Amino acid sequence: MSNHEILNFAEHAELRIQTEAGADYGDGVMASLAVPAEFQRLACEYPILFRFDAERGAFSALALFGFEQGENLFIEAGRWDAACKPLAVAVQPFLVGRPQSGEGATQVHVDMGHPRIAQGGEGVRVFDETGQPTPFLEEIAEMIGALDEGYRASGEFFAALSRYDLVEPFSMDVTLASGAQHRMVGYHLINEEKLAGLEPGVLAELHEAGHLRPIYMAIASLGNLGKLVRRKNRRGDG
Amino acid sequence: MTSPIGTVAIVGGGTAGWLAACVLAARRPELSISLVESPDIPTIGVGEGTWPTMRETLATIGIAESEFLRVCDASFKQGSRFDGWVTGAADDSYLHPFTLPPTGEIGPKLAAWQAGAASLGFAEAMTPQAVACSRNLAPRQRAMPDYAGALNYGYHLDAGKLAALLTRHATERLGVTRIAATVVSVGAAVNGDIANLLLDDGRTLAADLFLDCSGHAGLLIAGHCKAEWVDRSDVSFNDRALAVQIPVAPDSPIASQTIGTAHQAGWLWDIALPTRRGIGCVYSSNFLSDEAALQILTDHVAGAVPGAGNVDLSPRKLSFKTGHRARFWHGNCVAIGLSAGFIEPLEASAIVMIELSLRALTDNFPASRAAMDIHARRFNALFRYRWDRIVEFLKLHYVLSRRQEPYWLAQRDPATIPAQLAENLLLWRDQPPSAWDFPQIDEVFAAASQQYVLYGMGYGVPLAGSTSAVDPAAIAQLAEVRERSRVLASALPANRTYFDALAA
Repeated sequence: MSNHEILNFAEHAELRIQTEAGADYGDGVMASLAVPAEFQRLACEYPILFRFDAERGAFSALALFGFEQGENLFIEAGRWDAACKPLAVAVQPFLVGRPQSGEGATQVHVDMGHPRIAQGGEGVRVFDETGQPTPFLEEIAEMIGALDEGYRASGEFFAALSRYDLVEPFSMDVTLASGAQHRMVGYHLINEEKLAGLEPGVLAELHEAGHLRPIYMAIASLGNLGKLVRRKNRRGDG
Repeated sequence: MTSPIGTVAIVGGGTAGWLAACVLAARRPELSISLVESPDIPTIGVGEGTWPTMRETLATIGIAESEFLRVCDASFKQGSRFDGWVTGAADDSYLHPFTLPPTGEIGPKLAAWQAGAASLGFAEAMTPQAVACSRNLAPRQRAMPDYAGALNYGYHLDAGKLAALLTRHATERLGVTRIAATVVSVGAAVNGDIANLLLDDGRTLAADLFLDCSGHAGLLIAGHCKAEWVDRSDVSFNDRALAVQIPVAPDSPIASQTIGTAHQAGWLWDIALPTRRGIGCVYSSNFLSDEAALQILTDHVAGAVPGAGNVDLSPRKLSFKTGHRARFWHGNCVAIGLSAGFIEPLEASAIVMIELSLRALTDNFPASRAAMDIHARRFNALFRYRWDRIVEFLKLHYVLSRRQEPYWLAQRDPATIPAQLAENLLLWRDQPPSAWDFPQIDEVFAAASQQYVLYGMGYGVPLAGSTSAVDPAAIAQLAEVRERSRVLASALPANRTYFDALAA
């Protein structure tokens, strides 16, 4: 059960967080939200795909960890086998919070129902005994800030993609060494043909707005699909 | 003379004997190993502090860390804290941690410490381990692989339980034969070697190589080989100890280091295990009566252990001679453990000397009797060197004191200070201890240990060319230590938390 609180020393002086990786700690997910500002970092590890959220009427980006619900192929023996994680995963059990008015500075919220909330005195402290944030919390706060900023900027990014019709539906049949098949549907990716046909003026506009780099990073990240299939084959439970 | 060495007989079943059996069996599986253990002779079992080397030793012989910790009632040891050694004042305390200072030459870091952070102790400035020790934190998280840590560490343990674990491991998993018998006499070979042992059950035990782990008695190395005893009590005065073990409350904090507290004529040890504290009073019978020592111990326990009050301690009384054999390996007999030598446990050198002896023996195991004399000569030179360095390093703790009691004044009498230590101290006025002073592989106490004691006790820092600016790289290294201290203080569990979770 999630149970969100505004992080503060008075209530969370003794709070400790489990930092190991594992399904027990909520890492058993097949994908996580990714923001365009982190595409470059993520592109060397994860396939980045887009999804259209009909309710919000908008696209968002995902970093892919597996091919089935609950499957995270990066979790190996208590560690997350990659050089980086998407911010939205790395900050858990913390999240970007807003004051109730909806306006004002970003807050750090914590989900006290999250399995990363440590019991019994092990795990990393969030505040030191004087009430100062520990280096761990300093790092979390930085990531929360980056995630918030990245999320706010993502609206313009996807608006630009739609404006120039750069997104196309994508489905893929994944055939594993065992012969088992997974069909991936409902995803979108960059239409490379349309991208190649853009007028120089449009390219310059995308570049100036900072969108061109994440576009190419998302394209480059697709090479990780094959690597993810190999991970799945290695696991041998195809 | 050229037939291969295939059988080993170990005499004595304490920490030394069973460690020897395990290490030899694990590293030289082709050997046939027997250990003769007398049911009538109790083991000493007061060696309860190890060095970080014990992690590698346990991993080598194939014991999982969690099993070892649980079975031996062990805790983590991250170094030694010395209280009252300089002046005896309430705030007189320094740490000799196991984690080394940041890499590279110590000189620039000494200058950076003096220029920027002189209010910190030397250990506090040089390693985040000081913070972990001051807060009773473990050096590792349970999720880390066995024997890995964020900080360097050894163990505090129950020596009796360790011997029992090693016995089971050696006999049940490593194929060592345990013989419960007492050695009655030693049978000599024509060349003076040991041919066999006559046991009190009438059996005769022959072997190619004999390890004397019989403790102070030195049944083989002294009894048969007649290796002389080199007395070192002229340098190291202490010859008595009173030892007690006091149960602790289940939720009491567990200290991360051995605490050595100086008193008027010696010092007290304090070793915290999850279930008990081992506390002892070490002293010189020339300077302190047994009654006065008991009073010092009683007062210390009352102050140091909450709730211990005025319990009747009935301590075990130990008398010991400080020194070592002139030769440790003679013919086909090697002395390992107390049979080789003994010195007060100020820096927990007993178990590490066993490990070092076993490493030297197994790395250079004689292929045949013909090679043995060469190995023996090298082994004897190496361990004579090591004993000399240990004697000097322990003396360093006394020489740098400014305490004024007769015992402490006598400790600083130049006539009692070994020549090499006196020379080093002169050089260290001009340059910090370095590998130039301790050039061997596996120095028992390398330059970093000397630095921790020297600067922990306030010895003057040589600032050659101190007009030049402090090296920014050294300042950055010390800043990194401070940052790492914050990180570890937030990430490491308390010792008590760790062991509660381990037991759950």
